[in-house]
Amino acid sequence: MATPETQLVDDLLQQGRRRLLTLGGAALAGLVLGASPAQANAATPYSDSDILNFALNLEFLEANFYYLAAFGCTIDKPNAAAIAAGAPTKGIPITGSVGTAGTVSGGSQVPFSTTTAGAYATETAIEEGKHVLAIQSALGTSAIAQPAINLGTAWPALATKAGVAGGATFSPYASDSNFLLGAYVFEDVGVTAYLGAASLITSASNLQIAAGLLSVEAYHAGLVRTALNALDPTASAGLVTATNQISTLRASLSKAAASSTANPYDTNPDDFGLATTTVALAGTANLSATRITDADPTNTIAFSRTTTQVLNIVTGGGAINGTTVVSPALGTFFPAGLNGLFK
Amino acid sequence: MRTLDSLVDKALSRRTFLAGAGAAAAAAVTGCSSQGVTTTTPLYTDADILNYALNLEYLEAEFYLRAATGAGLASADTAAPTGYTGSYTLGPVTPGLAAQVANLTTAQQQILNEIAYEEQQHVRFLRAALGKAANPRPAIDLSFFGPLATAAGITTSTAPAFNPFASFDAFLVGAFIFEDVGVTAYAGAAPMISSAGVTAGYLTAAGGILAVEAYHAAYIRTTLTARAIAAGNASAYPYLGYANQIESLRASLTVGNAAQPSTAGAVETLLTLPSGPTSPSAIVPADQTTAIGFARTINQVHHIVYGSGTIGTKSGGFFPNGTNSLFATTTA
Repeated sequence: MATPETQLVDDLLQQGRRRLLTLGGAALAGLVLGASPAQANAATPYSDSDILNFALNLEFLEANFYYLAAFGCTIDKPNAAAIAAGAPTKGIPITGSVGTAGTVSGGSQVPFSTTTAGAYATETAIEEGKHVLAIQSALGTSAIAQPAINLGTAWPALATKAGVAGGATFSPYASDSNFLLGAYVFEDVGVTAYLGAASLITSASNLQIAAGLLSVEAYHAGLVRTALNALDPTASAGLVTATNQISTLRASLSKAAASSTANPYDTNPDDFGLATTTVALAGTANLSATRITDADPTNTIAFSRTTTQVLNIVTGGGAINGTTVVSPALGTFFPAGLNGLFK
Repeated sequence: MRTLDSLVDKALSRRTFLAGAGAAAAAAVTGCSSQGVTTTTPLYTDADILNYALNLEYLEAEFYLRAATGAGLASADTAAPTGYTGSYTLGPVTPGLAAQVANLTTAQQQILNEIAYEEQQHVRFLRAALGKAANPRPAIDLSFFGPLATAAGITTSTAPAFNPFASFDAFLVGAFIFEDVGVTAYAGAAPMISSAGVTAGYLTAAGGILAVEAYHAAYIRTTLTARAIAAGNASAYPYLGYANQIESLRASLTVGNAAQPSTAGAVETLLTLPSGPTSPSAIVPADQTTAIGFARTINQVHHIVYGSGTIGTKSGGFFPNGTNSLFATTTA
């Protein structure tokens, strides 16, 4: 029952929430992750479906990458190996109500030489495929079609931009460790995207889905970072260096998207590679520690990113021109942009 | 601003009431007639939810800090916050076999340092966010690992107690007890946060801590899996099996969701030992159909940390005097 007073209160809360949205979803007065940057689409009305569709674009990208790496096929055309590992025999639908189904270019099966990396790829492929199906199911007829996806030439372009050694010929399909670096590119970003989306969601059931997807992306990210750390424990094999280069590029693209607005932004990086750091524990200072977790160094809470920040990362800078937000953002993994409202 | 603040305060309490009324009873019904239709609809605030999380972080921090350095939380991290109202009773820590884990490689020590640091910072963050409402550390019993391992069938009751501080592999099993539970606890609590709490950034903070717990859990599960693969078979590396025995115990303790791991309705996914590159691992605990991560209710988590499937339990296991939270008594 809305009395004049409670209506006023609701209006105030609504305004507070809108104001929060313009801040991108984190405003715990300096306690949370420094500050969070602007949501470029804040003025645009959007629904939970728009947010889930944004996530669906990213899941199409991840699922196709892992399917190609593990099985050598895309998600809509599972081969015997994929089906044996648990892929649906009919494949995963790539059509939807918005956009025409785009094709996937590049990608091939990784000649895995270790049980560990191969087993991780197989597990992750099946899980990311299930995420596509689960989000499609939650969206029903509102689900977007698969956007066009580049999983071939996008890799050397991105590796070159990051400064990875041998970047011009980098292929995540060439070896076990290269595959893990490819996975590294995606997983931490997935975490920040779901975290940024969580506070934009209005329905409790959709929030529960987003929280569950967030946790799985974080498990995947933790898996990839653990595996890379195990392959290069003394940071002498080049893998740790590559993760730092990739994280630095992501932080730079993220910051470019955030700085394009007038809102305050924490100038500290929002991404960290696997190089060790120094921590102070209860009785002891200056202890060397790994960075399996990609999180704010002070509060050790994972980072959250707005849709614009995520777009700028997955399009390799396509969402920002100077200080202007570009929509649709095109480039790198999404040569024709994403499908749906956030693009 | 005073007017606006007071209006928002009113809104907070109203939203809190509505949230409480719509949620399952979170405290034991006492003194009610069995014939009555009386149900308790206890009020809870965002502070109650954060304090619930703080209890779990106190436990994790005390465990990991001791494993990494031999010493627990510094006194400053357990002191009464300024302005705390009421009696601030700090619970003792029963260390059991707690000690810095010996014979670690440099890389392993760095991992322990990282996780210990992150749990310590979570305690600090939650206490700062709660301010004067931060509850004291409850009594914590780190000797409970022994009885818990016996209950899980890892050790017999006459064997020496399981010691998670004895070796790196034993530490992984000890950590395994906590991490997946932490992930699901935050996933379960996130939707309970009020709209005002969402505005205040609590949801993003809770989600961000959830992610960090999942990074930790993935480290533990990945390392157990990789070491089992390296050992060649399950009997050469029993710790993978120990972890799965803990999953079975957790499932059996969880009233209302007692499904065995890896069956429909379970909130556990057993680790596997992949036979080759085309054989999937099971690093991620998630729903078998949707691959969406699990959530546990506050009550389910209490059953696990108390080591009791009994309804109406107020304390036990790692928390010999119960958690310092509104939700300390288990229900169905």
